[in-house]
Amino acid sequence: MPKRFYPKLAVSSIRRHFQVYGPYLGACTVMVSMFYLIMFLAANSGLSGMFGASTLKLLFTFGTVVVGLFAVIFLFYTNSFLIRRRKKELGLFNVLGLEKRHIARILVWETLLTAAFSLAVGLGGGILLSKILLLVLLRILDFPVVIGFEVPEAAVLTTLKLFGTLFLVLLAYGVRQVGRANPRELLQAEAVGEREPKARWFLALLGLASLGAGYFLALAIDHPLDALVYFFVAVLLVIAGTYLLFTTGSIALLKLLRRSKRFYYRSKPFLAVSGMLYRMKQNGVGLANICILSTMVLVTLSTTVSLYVGLEDVLRTRYPRQIVLRLDSYDSEVMAPVQSAVAATLERHGLEAVDRVEYRFLSFPVFRVGDTFSTDRELLSGFAGSMASLQLTPLEDYNRLVAEPVSLEENEVLVFYNRQPYEHATVQLLDRTFVVKGTLTSLPGNGLSTTEAFGAYYLVVRDLGVMEELAQHPALPWRGALPTYTLGFDLNTSREGAVAFYHDLARALPRQEAAPVWVESRDEARGEFHVLYGGLFFLGAFLGTLFVMGTVLIIYYKQITEGFEDRRRYLILRQVGMSSLEVRSSIKSQVLSVFFLPLAAAGVHVAFAFPMITKLLVVLNLSNRSLFALCTALTFAAFALLYTLVYRATTRVYYRLAAA
Amino acid sequence: MYLLEVKNLRKVYTTRFGGAQVEALRSVSFAVEKGEYAAIMGESGAGKTTLLNILAALDRPTSGEVILNGKRLSGLKEEELAAFRRTNLGFVFQDFNLLETFSLKDNILLPLVLAGESYVEMERRLVPLARKLGISKILAKFPYEVSGGEQQRAAIARALITYPQLVLADEPTGALDSKTSEELLRLFGEINAAGQTILMVTHSVKAASHAQRVLFIKDGEIFHQLYRGSLSAAEMYERIADTLTLLAAGGEANA
Repeated sequence: MPKRFYPKLAVSSIRRHFQVYGPYLGACTVMVSMFYLIMFLAANSGLSGMFGASTLKLLFTFGTVVVGLFAVIFLFYTNSFLIRRRKKELGLFNVLGLEKRHIARILVWETLLTAAFSLAVGLGGGILLSKILLLVLLRILDFPVVIGFEVPEAAVLTTLKLFGTLFLVLLAYGVRQVGRANPRELLQAEAVGEREPKARWFLALLGLASLGAGYFLALAIDHPLDALVYFFVAVLLVIAGTYLLFTTGSIALLKLLRRSKRFYYRSKPFLAVSGMLYRMKQNGVGLANICILSTMVLVTLSTTVSLYVGLEDVLRTRYPRQIVLRLDSYDSEVMAPVQSAVAATLERHGLEAVDRVEYRFLSFPVFRVGDTFSTDRELLSGFAGSMASLQLTPLEDYNRLVAEPVSLEENEVLVFYNRQPYEHATVQLLDRTFVVKGTLTSLPGNGLSTTEAFGAYYLVVRDLGVMEELAQHPALPWRGALPTYTLGFDLNTSREGAVAFYHDLARALPRQEAAPVWVESRDEARGEFHVLYGGLFFLGAFLGTLFVMGTVLIIYYKQITEGFEDRRRYLILRQVGMSSLEVRSSIKSQVLSVFFLPLAAAGVHVAFAFPMITKLLVVLNLSNRSLFALCTALTFAAFALLYTLVYRATTRVYYRLAAA
Repeated sequence: MYLLEVKNLRKVYTTRFGGAQVEALRSVSFAVEKGEYAAIMGESGAGKTTLLNILAALDRPTSGEVILNGKRLSGLKEEELAAFRRTNLGFVFQDFNLLETFSLKDNILLPLVLAGESYVEMERRLVPLARKLGISKILAKFPYEVSGGEQQRAAIARALITYPQLVLADEPTGALDSKTSEELLRLFGEINAAGQTILMVTHSVKAASHAQRVLFIKDGEIFHQLYRGSLSAAEMYERIADTLTLLAAGGEANA
């Protein structure tokens, strides 16, 4: 045979199947580019000198794993589609006298060409784009621009290794597929008689149960820390439920519809139900993939955008004042040097403490049943959600923080609970019974001392004497009650001035044996948070783009497959007396419902995930619910718009195939 | 009055880029009477399929008229054509053209569903028809589960269930073995005997020999026709074969 026979055959067959091969080439190339880019960011030396570089590195390394995994799964998926479509041609080669090993050689050449093209173009494009992407990242993080151009060797090598191996595995898979089949099977691979799908009720019900359980978890979880634990359980349940329902649930439902003769034997349901039955059989998994990917895109983008946009909210929640100071004692002898250090530093900087919040409290973990607060460790170690922190503050300090002072008797308390209003008239605490004089609607001092992740009870008692008595109680846990003095204030200066003040204050604070002291600065933390949330936002957008591209390609292939298959149906329906307009509208409504089903399901998933993610964000100090709601709604709207555009573009291809 | 009249049918295809023109039908005229069983014969490329598509109103002629039951097809709009096809015509195809997504029963009922018939009426028509065609027991099966002959019977049931004026059959035995073909042709004979008008397009001499009249088409024109009259099927077979030999030899029409 002539020397260039195989490469020529490979090139011509890629060309002939460009409608399916083109997007595959595109997908390979984009995957290579994306993988190189994320590797580049992880390995980039320009970032490594910067503040928070280790956080970023960790994020991008995580990103590398996600992108790599996605690339492997995704290319396998598209490649299997390609092979199915090509089997007929390869079978024909076989019948015309090419042996299996010759066909294998064609496949080798095709793979070589695909690999060479996608690696060359993908890496080239990745390298060109890397600088722009880096600039975008620096912009998001408010970092100074890095001069120069860099191609990290490790990134290039890892990309080549990963995709080289992947192409080899894909080739082996293709050769195996062809090698196992006889020519007749190859020729018929596409025309294999479609079996009527069976309704598998058990799996359908299992899917329903799984989805229901996932949704229930998402709604029922009350405490942010539980949300953290159960989020992944819920995600897994919902994913399993989605796959089962799309594959078996849909078929079971359609079969159920078919049982009602009066409903089924009417023009529209007749065509729709039977058509959908087969569409769902062929596309169930693909649609579930689209649904899961879409949900991932929506959740990733809406959370990371919320965090990035809500950065100031996060900082304000985490640091209620610009400077927050904590001392593990409220002994006046221990407090005095700290207070004077603060005053001296303020004076040295010529600054004033604004909105000063200052109070003493005693705290220990409790377990609550009804109005009884217990410290029983057996009960405490049980369930994270029921554990809460209890803080006792003297009335004197409380009155300093509020406009209208109140007075309390020895056995009276004011109560605040950060989850919901406290509903009992009494508080039973360590053998003592307190009468609730009032429930507060906000925290004394805006919760200087705790984050919202935990449940916390705040009790204002008459004086330090009451606190001292409780602190001596033998039932307290092993570390006893922790006395704390906390002080927070804003500064009448710039952010930079505040950071400078903070560093000075940190140096000026006395180190005392009796009690450690901490000081935190919102402005100092801003940089750290900015890098973390900016990096998350960037990664979210990056992965979001990747997932969207995946979704688009799956949609495209789905449309192509159906276009080929619906051609015959078109013709027959016209012959038995449907106008081409009717056929078109019938098929259109089916394509439409198949197409928008995953988006609708993704919308429902996101809606159910919303309360849970809101609680997760609370752990990350974002308690601005309406901001998150807005971000989610906007992300969904943008995604739906994009989805519709993709639908329009690919539907055109579909009609060209189906109506040909 | 004729059930079907075809007058001076001409169909010219233009290749996609405007270049060459192909004349599939030059000038075809013939008529079919109610209750008749006619066959149209010709070699591949003679214009049979084009003719059938035009008769089925799936394609429009370049010029000429098709009149079915006194109605000109050219005067109907696209939507009217669909309804017209549904109520007046039944189709039987070489490769059955059943939809795999439907059971045989649903395939048969399809035209009635599209016409908006009640389910009771559908059942009323289906039961005797399926019994007559011998497919009562396999109605619940799917096309891929039954033999070619059974699929073709289902296709015939689908064609007949609307009580059409005219059944158009395109090479109905083309994909069947000889024994099944024989059975099927006998079935067509019975259906015709019950009063159903049938127009069959074929190049099988065997199939054509069952018809009452055979029209020969060559180079886009009706070249010749044979009436069966009182001839037996075997004699008719001989006559057709002779005519085809003549056609192939390029002889003139004179018989």
